[in-house]
Amino acid sequence: MKTLIIGLGNPILGDDGVGWRVVEEIARKTANQPEVEVDCVSLGGLSLMERLTGYERVILVDSIFTGKKPLGTVSRFSLKDVPDLTAGHSASAHDTSLRNALNVGRSMNISLPRDEDVLIVAIETEIIYDFSETLSTSIEAALPQAVMAVLQLIQP
Amino acid sequence: MQRITIDPITRLEGHGKIEIFLNEEGNVANTYFQIPELRGFERFCVGRPVEEMPLLTNRICGVCPEAHHMAAAKAVDAVYHVEVPPTGKKLRELLYSAFYCTDHTTHFYALGGPDFIMGPDAPVAERNILGVIHKVGLEVGGKVIQMRKFGHTVVEIIGGRKIHPCTSIPGGLTKGITEEQRKEIETMGRWAIEFAQFSLKAFNDIVLSNKAYLDLIVGDIYTHKTYYMGMVDENNKVNFYDGKVRVVGPDGKEYVKYEPKDYAEHIAEHVEPWTYLKFPYLKNVGWKGFVDGPDSGVYMATPLSRLNAADGMATPLAQAEYEKFFSALGGKPVHQRLAIHWARLIELLYAAERWVELATDPEITSPDFHAIPTATPTEGVGIVEAPRGTLTHHYWTDERGVVTKVNLVVGTTNNYAPITMSIKKAADSLIKKGNVNEGLLNMVEMAFRAYDPCFGCATHSLPGQMPLEVTILDPDGNPINVLKQYCE
Repeated sequence: MKTLIIGLGNPILGDDGVGWRVVEEIARKTANQPEVEVDCVSLGGLSLMERLTGYERVILVDSIFTGKKPLGTVSRFSLKDVPDLTAGHSASAHDTSLRNALNVGRSMNISLPRDEDVLIVAIETEIIYDFSETLSTSIEAALPQAVMAVLQLIQP
Repeated sequence: MQRITIDPITRLEGHGKIEIFLNEEGNVANTYFQIPELRGFERFCVGRPVEEMPLLTNRICGVCPEAHHMAAAKAVDAVYHVEVPPTGKKLRELLYSAFYCTDHTTHFYALGGPDFIMGPDAPVAERNILGVIHKVGLEVGGKVIQMRKFGHTVVEIIGGRKIHPCTSIPGGLTKGITEEQRKEIETMGRWAIEFAQFSLKAFNDIVLSNKAYLDLIVGDIYTHKTYYMGMVDENNKVNFYDGKVRVVGPDGKEYVKYEPKDYAEHIAEHVEPWTYLKFPYLKNVGWKGFVDGPDSGVYMATPLSRLNAADGMATPLAQAEYEKFFSALGGKPVHQRLAIHWARLIELLYAAERWVELATDPEITSPDFHAIPTATPTEGVGIVEAPRGTLTHHYWTDERGVVTKVNLVVGTTNNYAPITMSIKKAADSLIKKGNVNEGLLNMVEMAFRAYDPCFGCATHSLPGQMPLEVTILDPDGNPINVLKQYCE
């Protein structure tokens, strides 16, 4: 299965950069696996949908803020499990949700993964509004677990 | 006193929320709109080589990285006192024109368009890009995706990377383009012109020929008679990449025109105790509160402002649309905020025409795209027109070119006061004697969408929505009613 692993977030916005850090480690560990492609981007909505074009399965690694779990908690779910609170509406002032964007793309006959094949590995964070290139201690400590969670998903 | 709060509850507490205070009669006393602000950027930059700024600043915002890259590139040129050769400038402007086409297209079709194409009264579930595609036809969706793809491709060819360009350095760019690339860019640009004309025609057919929509645009809810800001070229025509900043008054006459380096003589920032973000205003007019009129220093910087602040467009097709625009809306300046959507499409056409002009410029493939800086770096200002408003970067360095201070005035910040005023006016018209009209959330959202503000530039953490919650509280602060949108 053609798989793309994407680190999402802003690498200079504190814990928001955790997705990049995880995927940079995945890149080192999968360097000899040509069937696995990795990338790190700061995209959402339509732009992220465009990046997923042509892949059957995608793993997104990102920070999450639920405020309900201990910092550093690693969760795994698929896009299908995420409630699309936007009801197909614009999710921010500028863009639409990834689910809505994927629906738009599919209606254009663009080859895109199914929602259940967009897998998400999320790390609970809190400090995502302060510029910094370093992760806070509890998030740094969660890196090995997050890397393991991704590797388990791509095991044959 | 009643208190109404519109709060993006799944983001950080106390950020990006709207509070509406009612008086004893149940009418609006005041509104407070807080925008989340990313913190510590200046501290993050100090101590770094200034030439890193075009790379760092394009990570400030997930929506317009190209705009920050360009403003930073120009500020860094100024810091090094280096003049970019004509080919370097043209390549940057070519990249920037393609970016504008992508950005304005996305805004119109995905965000602003649904209000008009589906109609402001359509159910929320239909008032979105999918609804637009179903109504206007699948073919349009394909064109929107194609436009975005072409825009991204030009950014990648000239900027080295899609969306987050990396080729601008002090004195120009790290690389030029080949004749083969030029041809490809020209072909895509010609398609972009057709697409822009198609979009204006769709706007004309669907919106302007519908009296209800036209009434909405020219209505009073989002009308404010303020000053308008925009960059102009030497002929006072709209320019996104270079020129002087021109400000016209509520009467449409030129109030001031200044060089980017002099911005601090004209722009000051007002501080309110209830928000971290500052409100820029015209220093020499003065801050008089959230009011319009010639005595209030509040100004707007949006596509509509740029059209108001200029004498016209520098390309022929866009100029014709410019004339039609002002003729249809009763002459200059246009004060109705919802006309920003129409102005945006005229700018789309201009950007596409400028794209082709630059792609067919004999100098565009010249290898003379960079001048090596030789002067000692000091300080510099770079200004471009971001799609959402005039974007100012100001850097100070030591003699080694290491950053000692940074000041940014970003697109949305310019419009913070006018957005606050539009929210107040929408609330005024929809809340009477304690009765809150159900359309309040939508009218507030329509104000957001017209200005297209950057809320903390959040492409970031999941869940990434901008939920709104309106809480109405009685005089003692007890909630008596809650309106929700995008909330669990």
